[in-house]
Amino acid sequence: MTLLKRDPKAPQAWLGNLPVTSRYTFGLGGERFFRSIKDEGEILGTHCPKCDRTYVPSTIFCERCLGKLEEWVDVGTTGNVHTFTLLYENYDGSHREEPEIIAFVSIGDGGLVHRLGDVEPEEVEIGMEVEVVFKPKAEREGSILDIVHFRPIA
Amino acid sequence: MSMRKVAVVGAGMTKFVRRAQETAKELSWQATHMALESCEMTMDDIEGVCMGTAPDSFDGVHMNGEYLSDGAGAWRKPYMRSYVGGGTGVFVPIQGWYHIASGLFDVVLVVAEEKMSSYYPHAQAAFLTIFDHTTERALKPNLLWIFAMEMNRYMTTYGVSKEDIARVSVQHKHNAAKHPCALLGDADLTVEDVLNSEMLAWPVQRYDVSPVSDGAVAIVLAAEHVAKRITDKPVWIEGVGWNLDTAYWTNRDLVYPRYVEYAARQAYEMAGITEPRKQIHIAEPYDPFDYKALHHLEGLQLADRGKAVELYLDGTAALDGNMPVCPSGGLLGTGNPIAAAGLMKIAELFWQLRGEAGERQVAGSPKRGLAQAWGDLMQVGTVVIMGN
Repeated sequence: MTLLKRDPKAPQAWLGNLPVTSRYTFGLGGERFFRSIKDEGEILGTHCPKCDRTYVPSTIFCERCLGKLEEWVDVGTTGNVHTFTLLYENYDGSHREEPEIIAFVSIGDGGLVHRLGDVEPEEVEIGMEVEVVFKPKAEREGSILDIVHFRPIA
Repeated sequence: MSMRKVAVVGAGMTKFVRRAQETAKELSWQATHMALESCEMTMDDIEGVCMGTAPDSFDGVHMNGEYLSDGAGAWRKPYMRSYVGGGTGVFVPIQGWYHIASGLFDVVLVVAEEKMSSYYPHAQAAFLTIFDHTTERALKPNLLWIFAMEMNRYMTTYGVSKEDIARVSVQHKHNAAKHPCALLGDADLTVEDVLNSEMLAWPVQRYDVSPVSDGAVAIVLAAEHVAKRITDKPVWIEGVGWNLDTAYWTNRDLVYPRYVEYAARQAYEMAGITEPRKQIHIAEPYDPFDYKALHHLEGLQLADRGKAVELYLDGTAALDGNMPVCPSGGLLGTGNPIAAAGLMKIAELFWQLRGEAGERQVAGSPKRGLAQAWGDLMQVGTVVIMGN
């Protein structure tokens, strides 16, 4: 029931929206990062020799010294759970019996935020080693969701 | 009030393009990297970073200043984004200036970026959302028809013809043909081409308006003792000013931008300028539309009211004239990635006053230039005066 129907003396109001549709590019660093996931199943970083840091996902510049990065590194498909959370509520406010597990996975000097799968919530701990589970190659489209989730290394 | 002298010591600029493959962050980095290289400085020399970018909706990232920060060199530095709409590009160097003039920092990086191509299908759609939700938005206003009405009022009040106003567009696009970063330079464009271009919102036609663009510009500012150590040709910021008018359309004088006048007077007073038409040698007024360059030249006191077009008709505004206007090619020719376009004008004065503007170098030995931008709800003026 609208506010007006509940209370005829309420001030009149209406709904408006701010329509926004954006078309994003991966950028020069992202283009190579996502093509590599899609075509090779590899995760790429870039290394700054001056600051001795490996950026994952790959970037074309070092955020510390602003130098141009040209050393591309295959950083492998494993990492460590740096921290995690268990999501017990859906976006519509409904409760989840089985929580969704979200983790920050350290790879190189960076990493990815992603889901954890093939693991019980109570088994997840900080520091555990995990590996990427990619979608089958034919289904990959150059998206962060080409990674289904990370799972513990058996 | 005691203020320290502040110089521009380096500048960098990406190409202005219709659709960049680079992310907004990468564009910021490219300009910043070039600016640092131009003065042989490193991030170790930078004490603070000022970022200018216009509505978040263009880049499609809310809190865009934070998103851009690592491309702009903000890692573990004091960092602040300023935003006064289209006026941002000339405001953000003012922000950098007061960080140094006040004594807070000795060296500050100033970066401005816009990637308007992200907004789909067209950046104008972003402007549907900036107006009053109750009295205006239901009519679906955009900037083209709002400015068409201002242009009509200006033309009608002073009896300025569309043919004469088209001269502004022609000259700026001719200048842009000499700029290696320009999007719409055209050495062969004629007044007839402008008058025959697609009618958008009368009296505004396609070639009366600047293009949607992607790009970034960065400059390095330094206090006097640092500037003199790193360059023989510092370009000093001699005066700054900014001013706001009412946000409500019909309460404002559409024919004469009083807010630009007040911003200019603030800057002139600081710079000790008493006769701007003699003491300003290069003008870079904000020119998103051709009539706006005229409008702004009048507000800046560089022309009598309704008479700015004479600067174009008599050659004063040409590259070899007495007061070249928009030697950069302006927004009309070089492009209009909003915040970056304003800072591009500051970079242009830096190159012109050092004699480094290449093919578009103005004649003589210019000593002082003025850059101005305009924006917010079309009622802010921002002004910087620079001298060598």
